[in-house]
Amino acid sequence: MTPSDLLERLAVTFKTEVGPAIEAGYPRTQAFLSAVVLQKLAMQLRLQAEHQALEVRERQSLQQDLEQLLIDTGAPPPVQEAFSSLQVDGDAGLCRFIEALYASRDTLGPDAFEALLGRVRRTLRASLDRRMAFAS
Amino acid sequence: MSPGPAAGANDDVPSRIRSYIESRLPGARALELADMQQIAVGWSHETWLFDARWSAAGEQHAQGFCLRRDPGNALLRHLSDLGDQFRVLQCLEATTLPTPKPFWYEADPAVLGAPFIVMEKVPGSCPNPWGREGRHYYQAAADRGALPDSFTDALTTLHTLDWKAAGLEFLGVPTAGSTEFALGEVRKWRALIDASGHAPEPVLTDLICWLESNAPKTERLTLVHGAYRTGNLLIEDDRISAVLDWELQVIGDPMYDVAYVLSDLNREGSDLLSNLVPREAFYRRYEAATGFEIDEQACGYYALLYAMRSAAFWMSASGLYAEGRSNDVRLARTAWSVPVVLERAARDLGY
Repeated sequence: MTPSDLLERLAVTFKTEVGPAIEAGYPRTQAFLSAVVLQKLAMQLRLQAEHQALEVRERQSLQQDLEQLLIDTGAPPPVQEAFSSLQVDGDAGLCRFIEALYASRDTLGPDAFEALLGRVRRTLRASLDRRMAFAS
Repeated sequence: MSPGPAAGANDDVPSRIRSYIESRLPGARALELADMQQIAVGWSHETWLFDARWSAAGEQHAQGFCLRRDPGNALLRHLSDLGDQFRVLQCLEATTLPTPKPFWYEADPAVLGAPFIVMEKVPGSCPNPWGREGRHYYQAAADRGALPDSFTDALTTLHTLDWKAAGLEFLGVPTAGSTEFALGEVRKWRALIDASGHAPEPVLTDLICWLESNAPKTERLTLVHGAYRTGNLLIEDDRISAVLDWELQVIGDPMYDVAYVLSDLNREGSDLLSNLVPREAFYRRYEAATGFEIDEQACGYYALLYAMRSAAFWMSASGLYAEGRSNDVRLARTAWSVPVVLERAARDLGY
């Protein structure tokens, strides 16, 4: 039995055995919600390896595309600097890069801004879609 | 680590409440408290309801009370102070907006373990709009027609009351004609996100940056409830008997409340606003009563601000559970609500 299978099994136990056996409202709700949490954890764990591999691949692709876009658009130094941190700081670095784009919006001009942010958003959308597989 | 709201530390609260009420009713004799119950409403405060009877100066008295206590680990705790809530209710007492009459605010944590307020127990019920029973209730009320009108009327009363005359300036008044109000809200909710200890969320960063870059100017200032929807309103005989949950009120743009009413966040699977009000009827009645034209663009902006608020709320909630400051599994569950609300925001931002 894999860890995700075990969590799934526990969720069923909470849902069908523990919850229904509790009469008091508050702990009963807690038992049923525990089942929901365990189910979501199970799904997240099951998809984790696949999602992580995709995430790594897409971040590499994002960095390559942005590198070229920064050259094409002649991005100002604050954006270039934020791009450096993007390469080492994961999500925190990506947040800083997004903030730098907005802060340099006027300098970049609308076309460059849209091109750079649009490329970032393509990656964010793919990541959101993956998370929705276990969050919704 | 402080116990969670339902961690079982409330065993002697009823007797302490009784002692407190006695102390607040000098001259009262034969005080009896009946039907005391702690009710499970909201996520931010603990609430007790009870009925009191006593005699004084040869006369019999009866009063229903509602007591709200700050459990110390409440959601929105940094944004909502019980003392301010009490003061707001005092200010609203003289207006025509239906609100509970406030009796006492007790800041001394020695009395009940934490600050609390005591107010009138207003007759009515507050069906949960997220549950099946609640949705049926509001659908049936919508079919009858009176409650949707009352819902809109209470909001128009809220938006047209003279907040200066009511003494509500202490809430802080943004500059009219500026972006101060919208940016202040963004800043307020960003602080909650920062305090949550949540991992960086690039989609949320994009959303916040967008909100900061596109803040609308607020031309008209009114009292704004901040969470006006079914579930925060007490209902009796198909009318709003009290507007509750005075935790997020501000002086600001009335479209902030209107956007919340229009939001599909508050009407799961229903065409009715807040599961209750037909959209066209709301527009017609609201605009006629207030004289304000509903500003679609501003409402679109505030809808995205609500997405940020929701993300902040869920981050804060799941953070409380993760840090062991609450044992309520409902809060753990909200960790998965963050990507859901961000996904919706991303769609609204065009991706």
